[in-house]
Amino acid sequence: MTSSRFLVIATVAAAMVTGRATLAQQPAADPAVQEVRQAIDAARKEVDAYKKAGGATDAADQPAIKWDAAFWGYRERYPRSDAAALASAEAVRLLGRAGLWERAHARVASLEADDPAWLRVASPVYDDGIARKDLPYTIDTLSRVVGATTNPAIKSSVGLIVGRAYRRQGDLAAATRALEAAKGASPGTPYAEEADGLIYEIKFLSVGLPAPAVEGQTRSGPTISLASLRGKAVVLVFWGTT
Amino acid sequence: MEEVPLLKDLHTRYAQQAEIIGISIDVSVPRVDRTIKEKGMTWPILADGNGFDGPVPRAYHIQGTPDLFIVDRDGKIFARLGSATQLEDRLKDALR
Repeated sequence: MTSSRFLVIATVAAAMVTGRATLAQQPAADPAVQEVRQAIDAARKEVDAYKKAGGATDAADQPAIKWDAAFWGYRERYPRSDAAALASAEAVRLLGRAGLWERAHARVASLEADDPAWLRVASPVYDDGIARKDLPYTIDTLSRVVGATTNPAIKSSVGLIVGRAYRRQGDLAAATRALEAAKGASPGTPYAEEADGLIYEIKFLSVGLPAPAVEGQTRSGPTISLASLRGKAVVLVFWGTT
Repeated sequence: MEEVPLLKDLHTRYAQQAEIIGISIDVSVPRVDRTIKEKGMTWPILADGNGFDGPVPRAYHIQGTPDLFIVDRDGKIFARLGSATQLEDRLKDALR
């Protein structure tokens, strides 16, 4: 596998959740990050168990509330660090999963546009918009950050998610604009590379466009081409043995 | 790989209306051949040993597997799916 490609954390996290194999590597963890990751595991187990036992969303013993406070505590212990960013994102994610949207939104709204937590928090804000079928919330919230931040990495990484949200809504022109801006904010970085990939997908792989050519000799011998199969539907399955 | 039984089933049941093409992102072609045999994969498989850098994975911007595309009868992209769970429903839609 090639290791030169890079996917932002949002994609990695999504891939881990769905169990898909990807090219992305896990970032090396510092001790604070490891500490937060362990807390994340413990929190998820507890919240899932609570849910399974039929616990009420707004009950005082709802573990998401306790864990939200604990995660926000890491922001003070390790200020402006990746550990703090991870913890912030997990707090937002847990509150959302527990259905405590108002609390989640208040946490999100409390973050300043230059807070490095945005590098991680944009992803749960995207998931939030999908879960509640309210992508305009995601787009509004994140666009405001993109407009106000002075940090190019935040501008790009959050802008990428704005682009994804527009694309998911079917507004391909707005998606392309957001992605071009994300690319322009950090040229030559993995963010720009990811923006390029998404722009390519919109331009060449959107629903309704002619499918790119597929042809070659099959492992059993005969050659096959997509073009020769007009009149039949074709399922292209990209797969790997591992 | 867990989608193999489903693909086998669809390949049989939709033989008249649809084709499946497997495109391997492996760098070892012998390994692909072994897997085809072991799993009894009956549909056409392309494997050039170039991994994600082969021309077809690049054209489709593949970054992870499984990644599935449904192409309609006119050769147009109908859907992209990250797993096979909704494949049959979406294929039915494409054939409608």
